[in-house]
Amino acid sequence: MQRKKLIFAILALLPAMGIYFWVRLIPIGETLRLSLHQWNILSKNKPFVGLDNFRELFGDPLFLESLFNTTIIAFGVLLITIPSSLFIAYLVFQRTRSRFAGFYETTLFLPHVVSLVPAAMAWKWIFDARLGPLNAALGWFGIEPKAWLFDPVLSIFCIIFLCSWQMLGYAVLIYIIGFKNLPLSLLEAASLDGASKRQAFWYVSIPLLKPITLYVSVVTLVAGFNVYAQAFILASDSQGAPGRQVRTLVLDMLENSFRNYRVGYAASEAVVLMVIVLVLTLIQFRMLREKGKSL
Amino acid sequence: MKISSIGRRQFASFALSSPLHKLLAAAGLTLLAGVAPAQAQKISIWSGYPEMAPFYQRVADQLKAKNPSLQFSIEAIPLREHEKRVALALSSGSAGALVIEMAPPTANRYLSNNLLVKAPGNVAGFVTDTKNYAPFFIQGASSGGGVFGVPLFRGQGALFYNTDMFKAAGLSKPPATMEEFSTYAEKLTKRDASGKPTVSGWSMRLSGGGQGIAEKFWINMFQYSGNLLTQGADGKWRVTVANEAGRKTLKQYLVNVHKLKVVTPEMPADADAFERGQTAMFIRESWVIGDIAQKAPKLNYATAPLPRGTIGLPTNLYVSAKGAEADASWTFAMAANEPDNLIWLLKNVGWLPNRQNVDYSPVIKSNPGFSGFVNYPKDHAFFSLPSIDPIEEILTRVASKLTAAFPKAGLADDDKAIAALLVEIENEGNAILNREGLLGK
Repeated sequence: MQRKKLIFAILALLPAMGIYFWVRLIPIGETLRLSLHQWNILSKNKPFVGLDNFRELFGDPLFLESLFNTTIIAFGVLLITIPSSLFIAYLVFQRTRSRFAGFYETTLFLPHVVSLVPAAMAWKWIFDARLGPLNAALGWFGIEPKAWLFDPVLSIFCIIFLCSWQMLGYAVLIYIIGFKNLPLSLLEAASLDGASKRQAFWYVSIPLLKPITLYVSVVTLVAGFNVYAQAFILASDSQGAPGRQVRTLVLDMLENSFRNYRVGYAASEAVVLMVIVLVLTLIQFRMLREKGKSL
Repeated sequence: MKISSIGRRQFASFALSSPLHKLLAAAGLTLLAGVAPAQAQKISIWSGYPEMAPFYQRVADQLKAKNPSLQFSIEAIPLREHEKRVALALSSGSAGALVIEMAPPTANRYLSNNLLVKAPGNVAGFVTDTKNYAPFFIQGASSGGGVFGVPLFRGQGALFYNTDMFKAAGLSKPPATMEEFSTYAEKLTKRDASGKPTVSGWSMRLSGGGQGIAEKFWINMFQYSGNLLTQGADGKWRVTVANEAGRKTLKQYLVNVHKLKVVTPEMPADADAFERGQTAMFIRESWVIGDIAQKAPKLNYATAPLPRGTIGLPTNLYVSAKGAEADASWTFAMAANEPDNLIWLLKNVGWLPNRQNVDYSPVIKSNPGFSGFVNYPKDHAFFSLPSIDPIEEILTRVASKLTAAFPKAGLADDDKAIAALLVEIENEGNAILNREGLLGK
């Protein structure tokens, strides 16, 4: 009977595993293989170059700039998203019984489901140096208008802000679920011991939410490292755009693949990105495991 | 109930009564729909200039009127995205029959990998006839002794200037030297009470498409007798910006932005700004004439040749198709070069057609905007982008360095730093040429 169940389980899983293998594992394997070759996308000839692509990569100023920008963006989004989403989720959780609870949750989640392109276009207008409402608002306080999307530093901040705005809704939702699943007995015990709401939040809720924080952190970081459309729309090389001020890894990969026809080189960039994401994921697993041991 | 005894409505009702029947009916319709277009030849026309769509539609309509089985899909998108889709489509061979608009340097890679179709005898005969095209254009459409493209139009730069603003600034003629470009720009710049420019005196290319920034830099550098890339006696190339012409060009950009403050990177730029009266002059190709006619018909402007010469970058039509679809695609490319279509192109879009045995004079006379593009001195020089594989990578890398340099105010006064930056640009470009085995001595 057990054997039959096992065969059934394998058969049931086969289609899904087949699709996963086809659309996930094969492309990853092919990317790894391509990273060791020189290929111009058009030719059948793909000479093996070993680690040459990687050697060139780490001496390429544009790649290093992309890696630096992407890292700043990814960690910038993380630093904004985690504390703010935790705080907002706590506020929403406090009003769970309010008749506006659904409205709060929907409003907060909305940026995450809004299509990225129109959202980024709207933010591009907000950040516009001459016509944008942001500079107009700053002007009321006597602050000089800023060239948000032209200044290399400010444009990075703009992208961090846009990504955080988008990520916030998702993170808040996950935290709210986390708050709802906190063991009430511990919070009540803290209250009986004389802990204030603030102390309960700081010393009970936050430690208990550690797995949620780890999960949200990794998801946010991975999304941050994959930033593409936000940088493309806000600061890409299209006519009238600021022009290459914010080069990210995925943008650089696309440019190397389809403008410079260097697919092997772009694949080596993809491998570097994959390693970064993999390391971050492993760190998460490790931290979760340690958490499990300590409990 | 026998089917023969039921009515059509009853049968339809029966046939669509269950989800399975609906599914089968949908599949049948899909199959039938698939059969019908199989008899027609579907050709996609891919352009990198959205303003060209009405022109190609006109040609397609003419051909469809003669042969209704032909189906054309006009897909004109911005150039950089167009280049990416061509790379994807031709490498995967998945886009069906295509007529592709491309400049020879871009087409070079596809030709060397046999991804574009050689023109049939009649097309090749038409293209190589020197009555139709000057040798420069024939050469641009040919490769390895064969013809692969049909020349259509060219990108040629000239100065566009707002005559009302010139008049208001007491300027009666366009600038004749690069030094005058800056002095004119200073006079033409309009400022607010704090001295910030509100209308740029000269909209220089400080942002936008990466490659375009380098091309515009090259045009300015050409006025100082320089070239961004130079071909050696061995037929190979070198990036040559670390010289007097390069230094003067970069310095002029920086001085205009940071010292004279006639333009800033974040100011509205390019054709849109010119059409809205937000800049007094700028250097651009002739398509702006058609754009102005549509968007700002009341704008008073003129064009003038640049002091020494300009870029002449031909654009050809290439074909990626087989059999009857290839024949239909070449027919399209040839029809685009019919005299009445080329006159329509010049009049309505503004790109300069390459075919020479067509009388364009009525259009040119009726629109003085073309003057700067056709009435140039005999010694007016032209340069073009070399047809080498890494040209786009080199220009994009040059542009990347330039866009990073333009906002740096400190550079404007630092000749040593300017020289060092140009050496850096040159070395980076030459390293790419070396990698591709194209670096000259």
